[in-house]
Amino acid sequence: MPEPRVRCSDLAVGHDGREVVGGVSFAVEPGQVVAVVGPSGCGKSTLMRALAGLDPAMAGDSWILGERLGGLDEAGHDALLRRVGFMFQGSALWSSLTLAENVELPLREFARCGARERRLLALHKLGQVGLLGAADKHPAEISGGMAKRAGLARALALDPEVLFLDEPSAGLDPVTSARLDDLILRLRDGLGTSIVLVSHEVPSIRRLADFCVYLDPVSRTMAATGKIDDFLRPDAHPGARDFFSRHAQP
Amino acid sequence: MPSMPEVADSPARFSLATEGACLRISLAGDWTKDGPLPDFPQLRDGSEVRWSVEELGKVDSALPAWIQGLERAAPPGVSFRHEGLPPRIRGWVLLASADAESDGGEESLPWIARLGLWATLSKASWLRAVSHIGELALGLARLLVGRAKVNWQEFPQLLRTTGPDALPITLLLGFLTGVIMAYVGMIQLGKVGANIYVANLVGLAMAREMGALMTGVVACGRTSTAFASHLGSMNVSQETDALRAIGLRPVEYLGVPRLLAVLAVLPLLSVFATAAGILGGMAVAVGYGMSAEQYANQVIEAVSVRSFLTGLIKAHAFALIVAWAGCYRGHVARRNARGVGEAATTAAVLGITLLVVADAAFAVLFNLFAFY
Repeated sequence: MPEPRVRCSDLAVGHDGREVVGGVSFAVEPGQVVAVVGPSGCGKSTLMRALAGLDPAMAGDSWILGERLGGLDEAGHDALLRRVGFMFQGSALWSSLTLAENVELPLREFARCGARERRLLALHKLGQVGLLGAADKHPAEISGGMAKRAGLARALALDPEVLFLDEPSAGLDPVTSARLDDLILRLRDGLGTSIVLVSHEVPSIRRLADFCVYLDPVSRTMAATGKIDDFLRPDAHPGARDFFSRHAQP
Repeated sequence: MPSMPEVADSPARFSLATEGACLRISLAGDWTKDGPLPDFPQLRDGSEVRWSVEELGKVDSALPAWIQGLERAAPPGVSFRHEGLPPRIRGWVLLASADAESDGGEESLPWIARLGLWATLSKASWLRAVSHIGELALGLARLLVGRAKVNWQEFPQLLRTTGPDALPITLLLGFLTGVIMAYVGMIQLGKVGANIYVANLVGLAMAREMGALMTGVVACGRTSTAFASHLGSMNVSQETDALRAIGLRPVEYLGVPRLLAVLAVLPLLSVFATAAGILGGMAVAVGYGMSAEQYANQVIEAVSVRSFLTGLIKAHAFALIVAWAGCYRGHVARRNARGVGEAATTAAVLGITLLVVADAAFAVLFNLFAFY
């Protein structure tokens, strides 16, 4: 059995010395999509930042691609981050750069290719998210949906084996959101990337996720894991059932 | 432990073989991001490209990126058959081709259309500037009749930041301007033995011209840029939209208190700068053997009330320019981090340019009306 791409064991995360959520344990297999869900303020984004190695965890262990995050020195940690893609909720595109330059920047810093190769790769990544024609536009000149896709293209720049997506559909209209879901599925199928996503959008989670991790804001723990249908059963965690049943479709 | 990407062992290369109408490209070596990719081959119109990968080494997304680049560079009649590629690479190529409806493509315009576009945008920009001046004037008029809604809460802070906070740098620059003028005067006037008139030169120049102008330049660098970046940031975070949404006029609400604050303090700063400049001139004159009393008497004799008023009138006009340049560039700033930076820069450039233009206009006007 292949090693999980992402794994955490009894992980606790928070900020300013205050634990937001603890007792989180799950694993993401190659090519699997896992959704971290829960009401606002339950620590989804905080957990994902810690899982991706952007912020330190308060307790417990986590592994990415077999490397334990707590056991790496700074250089090893940075090298590991290059094998991981992160798409931020607000896209976080560098506004002074064009979309192509946004994608080229990680390549310029971490790949040993020349300017022509970087340009080709940037156009390829933008082509993968349907933004080839907007390569020379600045973030201010594109719509929110396009910015999300450009953020995704930048996250894909270094061919990550694991992709972390923070609220990919937030703020998008249903049609754009569905297109982005299609794109994420095509990326998973085409590139075999493992994906951890944080989302509130139950229709989107239903389409994308192989299983969900539900964080409970009351107990501040990982209250349940499973497929969406598991959460709709009468014996499911009441908070999780309530969260999913509001949007559930038969 | 993960390490830096390895340099490609065997460089990416290809060979071509023609099989009737079909062109076979045999890929060999490592096609990764860590090595150069070969130039595209020239493809004949109407040919069909197929792939061989027997000697292909390490591969990452550099190969599909190169194949896509080749597709874009190929004449329209060339077709590509990707069956010969490894399934993973074929998937990547097809994934990138799947969204052929790519958003945002734009055709480049012919030069005449670009010229027309530039003229239209320039006209719009001028109209926007005039409209902003109008809105600000309207805001002041509404204030006079008690109907303006103005953010008075930040007025004391605006007074402090545009006035007392700017005093030290204004005094320093004023003093140094006086020093420079006195040295230049000493060199020239000394040749004809008229050193004593250095006091007249410095006093008159500071009171009529340099006091107000130097204060204006300092205010452009400090105040206009601060206004532009603050209002520009409010644009980015949609704070100005929020004001509009509750029925407030952002230009009036935010612009009028800034305009009044600068109008209140810049003439005062100008008086301080003038005094500092005269003192700077005195320091040099005393160094050249003139007594302080002699210098002071010459200044009093040279600087008439009219000269002093000339400087004050200019200082008020410069205050309007400084405040307007900052508010205008801030209000029209683009809604991103770059836009805020541009707003600050253009506010300083616009302000200083207008100061010099206005100073020249004043010189002509005062001369025409013999106001000296």
